[in-house]
Amino acid sequence: MYMNNFKSVYLSLILALILLLLPWSGFALTVRPDFMLLLIIFWLIRAPNLCNVGTAWFVGLFVDLATGGVFGQYALAYTITAFFAVTYQKRLVLFNRTQQLFYVFLLLFISQIILLIIKTFAGGQLIGWTYFIPSLIGVLLWLIAGIFGLDVGGHRRDH
Amino acid sequence: MTRRLNKKLEQQQAPAFFVHGPSALARLAFFSVLSLALMAADSRLQYLLTVRQTLQTLLHPLQILANAPSQLYRDAGEYFSTHDYLLSENKHLKQQSIGQAITLQKLNTLALENIHLRQLLQVNESIAQATVAAEIMHVGRDTFSRKIVINRGQAHQISAGEAVVDAAGVIGQVTRVYPLTSEVTLITDTTLAIPVQIERNGLRAIAFGHGRDSSLDLPYLPSNVDIRRGDKLVTSGIDGVYPTGLAVAIVSKIEISPDSPFARIICAPTGGVENHKQVLVVSIAHAHTSQTESSSQLIAAPANADANQPANTMPPHHTSE
Repeated sequence: MYMNNFKSVYLSLILALILLLLPWSGFALTVRPDFMLLLIIFWLIRAPNLCNVGTAWFVGLFVDLATGGVFGQYALAYTITAFFAVTYQKRLVLFNRTQQLFYVFLLLFISQIILLIIKTFAGGQLIGWTYFIPSLIGVLLWLIAGIFGLDVGGHRRDH
Repeated sequence: MTRRLNKKLEQQQAPAFFVHGPSALARLAFFSVLSLALMAADSRLQYLLTVRQTLQTLLHPLQILANAPSQLYRDAGEYFSTHDYLLSENKHLKQQSIGQAITLQKLNTLALENIHLRQLLQVNESIAQATVAAEIMHVGRDTFSRKIVINRGQAHQISAGEAVVDAAGVIGQVTRVYPLTSEVTLITDTTLAIPVQIERNGLRAIAFGHGRDSSLDLPYLPSNVDIRRGDKLVTSGIDGVYPTGLAVAIVSKIEISPDSPFARIICAPTGGVENHKQVLVVSIAHAHTSQTESSSQLIAAPANADANQPANTMPPHHTSE
């Protein structure tokens, strides 16, 4: 049974990687949510015994590879975000849906800020406020997943 | 189905109390340091090229899988393309090929003449070039830079530094090569500079990518410079990377302010930086080939008019049209 759960974690991560590898371009690229990070946050909150900060780092490495940037950028951003997710995991499970959404948004935002800082140091070009759209879309995805019954197993008061 | 999954996963919450191993903070510290070390090793020391290439090869099947839906859509579109459309396209292509054949004949004579003149003057500058046709797989996923990934790599003798052109002009330069794919930085990326020449008067300059709004900058030119709107920029070829005379951009805007000694010149790239599927990778083959070798290649090139040819003949076409 544990095997099965590990399987579901890794299968979903591979699926998210394929989503990331889809030929996004133009407008779709600017609004594309960070699938990998969303999923890793999801599993960190839902099954903290199956994945931890190290998993996030490893996943980040693959995102670095897929985006073709310098190795370690996404890995660092994911590591720090995962740390926050793990630290407040027990509290997060007790949050109601709105609080949870806000918290997830904050996590996505943190990762984007970290990436922004790294990229600015590396001399990348800045793209203005539209840079933060993916966080909003990510939260929207989280909300939709919640509506379809795929939640982190918290907010029992709703039931 | 998700409900069942939920139930299954609910049970694993219990052992969360017994999570063992180092604390989250320790993990954070360890992996952060590791990431920073990786960044340093990758960007400053370039140690990780082989690691990247290996992992990229592992990722390749997934990439193919991810590209499959759009590929299928395109193939289906091609399959159902109408008879009329194909006929008209065929006609158009035939006309185009006749036009090109005439220019090609002229070019052949000119190339021979040029070689003879060069021999008379005893200069050896002409450099033969090899081309590889490639297809864009996807645009770069990094929103901070302007890159594309093409479906040719080490296996097809692509090497870093080669120029990438399409039918209308230069679009970028190969910056990273993987076994089966390679990464091209577009000329509109801020990190890429390209030596150009104004076609009208031969003035040399360097064009820099502007980033966001796919345009090129022409800095360091004095405000009294002889440049006009609509001037065509072509590669000057003095860098030994881009072949001479390929179209790069057209001057679209010139701003001269009295408080700056330099003019602000903005150009629009002629190549379809954002919207083409097929590209050519042009490499300047061995700059130090002997004169006889390079000249024989130059003569031979127009004779076998194959797919490689347009790269050589492109700029003349463009001006003649």
